[in-house]
Amino acid sequence: MKSAVAFRNAYFTISRSLKPSLNRSLFLFSLHSLPTFAVSPPPSRRLRPETFPSLSATICSSTMAADEANEPPPSSPSLEKQFESFRVQLDESGSLRERIRAVVMEIESTTRLMQAALLLVHQSRPTPEVLEKPKAQIGVLKELYNRLAEVLRDCPAQYYRYHGDWKSETQTVVSLLAFLHWLETGNLLMHSEAEEKLGLNNLDFGLDVEDYLIGLCFMSNELPRYVVNQVTAGDYDCPRKVLKFLTELHAAFRMLNLRNDFLRKKFDGMKYDLRRVEEVYYDVKIRGLTANDDSTGDQTSQGQPQVT
Amino acid sequence: MLYSCAIWRISLMASKPHRLHHLAGRTELSTAKRVRRTMTTQSSISEAFTNYTDYLNHLNEKRERVVKASRDITINSKKVIFQVHRISKDNREEVLEKAEKDLAAVTDQYISRLVKELQGSDFWKLRRAYSPGVQEYVEAATFYKFCRTGTLLHLEEINSTLLPLSDPSLEPLQINVLDYLLGLADLTGELMRLAIGRISDGELEYAEKICKFVRDIYRELLLLAPKMDESFDMKTKMDTMLQSVIKIENACFSVRVRGSEYLPLLGSDNSSSFLLGMPDIEP
Repeated sequence: MKSAVAFRNAYFTISRSLKPSLNRSLFLFSLHSLPTFAVSPPPSRRLRPETFPSLSATICSSTMAADEANEPPPSSPSLEKQFESFRVQLDESGSLRERIRAVVMEIESTTRLMQAALLLVHQSRPTPEVLEKPKAQIGVLKELYNRLAEVLRDCPAQYYRYHGDWKSETQTVVSLLAFLHWLETGNLLMHSEAEEKLGLNNLDFGLDVEDYLIGLCFMSNELPRYVVNQVTAGDYDCPRKVLKFLTELHAAFRMLNLRNDFLRKKFDGMKYDLRRVEEVYYDVKIRGLTANDDSTGDQTSQGQPQVT
Repeated sequence: MLYSCAIWRISLMASKPHRLHHLAGRTELSTAKRVRRTMTTQSSISEAFTNYTDYLNHLNEKRERVVKASRDITINSKKVIFQVHRISKDNREEVLEKAEKDLAAVTDQYISRLVKELQGSDFWKLRRAYSPGVQEYVEAATFYKFCRTGTLLHLEEINSTLLPLSDPSLEPLQINVLDYLLGLADLTGELMRLAIGRISDGELEYAEKICKFVRDIYRELLLLAPKMDESFDMKTKMDTMLQSVIKIENACFSVRVRGSEYLPLLGSDNSSSFLLGMPDIEP
């Protein structure tokens, strides 16, 4: 890119200072070479040998016309100035984006650590020790989101200009936080609680509600596997708890009026998670593996706080 | 507290969800925070999701309004562009006058509708909803300006005409660089049509002026295209733009080389036939 700028500048200064006759040949040169090194060739490049003779001839004729009419040099100064300022602006937003991406990459690797640590719940009962490691990462995430907010401090209104750069990572973060929160308390992590955990509640930089909801859908994808493994490990009460939780969550999602977008798609997938958990619950119950008092603890008739 | 909560829960079971947030959403919202502290799962989940429902409904309605405004802007900006295309040697003044009026009407009636919708972060959040309309508007405004003065209408100039639209309490709507540049990229397509039309009319000098202008724009945009936010859109536009430039150049070439034979006879039929004779431009 730099060389292109340099080339362009050089070309202007020269073309202005040269005599008309030289000017013409320079035009020829510049239009032959400029597209070849700076434009990615369109598919129609095959036509090139045919196109170019006529092209260069055109240039001769139109430069002649320009010379005859004594027109001002190629582009007017004000036009160039405007585009120069655009270049500066776009360069600035480009470097801002790079800084954002640097932070987001760290967030990404932190969530990976969390995810890896959290996978252990599939291998044993969720004891406090298993949860300790992923919980320690929440502080790191908080720190990283603060840095992200710091990067965008000067332009809070442009949150959604760069939103795409941290969107999917944040959805993963929410899913992990919500899963962790559920394992700990048996409750759904609310939007405001998620913001609090990430230290975003009193900043311009907030947690987008749609990201939060998509994160919850991701968490729901994790639950069938969890149930299966818990039952295998001998926790026969687990399906009931998960089924109750997931049924509530699904019912809550049905209150939303969604558009045909990604969130809708993820929500549509949630019913398969629900069905899988129901199957496991059925399998366990039909074999009489659940404790007897559960028959009264059906989730539709009971609105009591969840026992953990 | 708990009592009201219980009543609310009953109403939740009784009424349909979409009714619920009108009924309960408004009255219970204020208590949402306090309820959450008690953490009875079912009610607090519903409570919170009532908030999310409100948020999403509000957002979707707003997006719909913005999309509609954008479509209106597109349609009416297109009309301005067609009006400018009706230009010829003899009716220049009256055509441009009407175009100016139409353009002002688009600004006053339709662009103004965007102003109050796009406050704060909505400007970027809903960009995809309004961007096509704004690009078309930029195209129409710059096209008109070029035909009027032969110069490029700058972004600052457009934005200063938008300032009076909003009342002082609101932050004014300012078109961003990206939409402006995307609009400019489309402009070259219109200029190509204009140039071909002018050649048919025998105004070769005017066509050559257009040719030079379009080349300038292409050269400037070439440097900016890779720096733009979603540069894929722009890349395809750059390819089209180069095709437009080449079409104009070829048309000028034809007239220069063979035009001396045709020029006295130039009518629209003749001219289109020799333009179609160009072998190498159309894909």
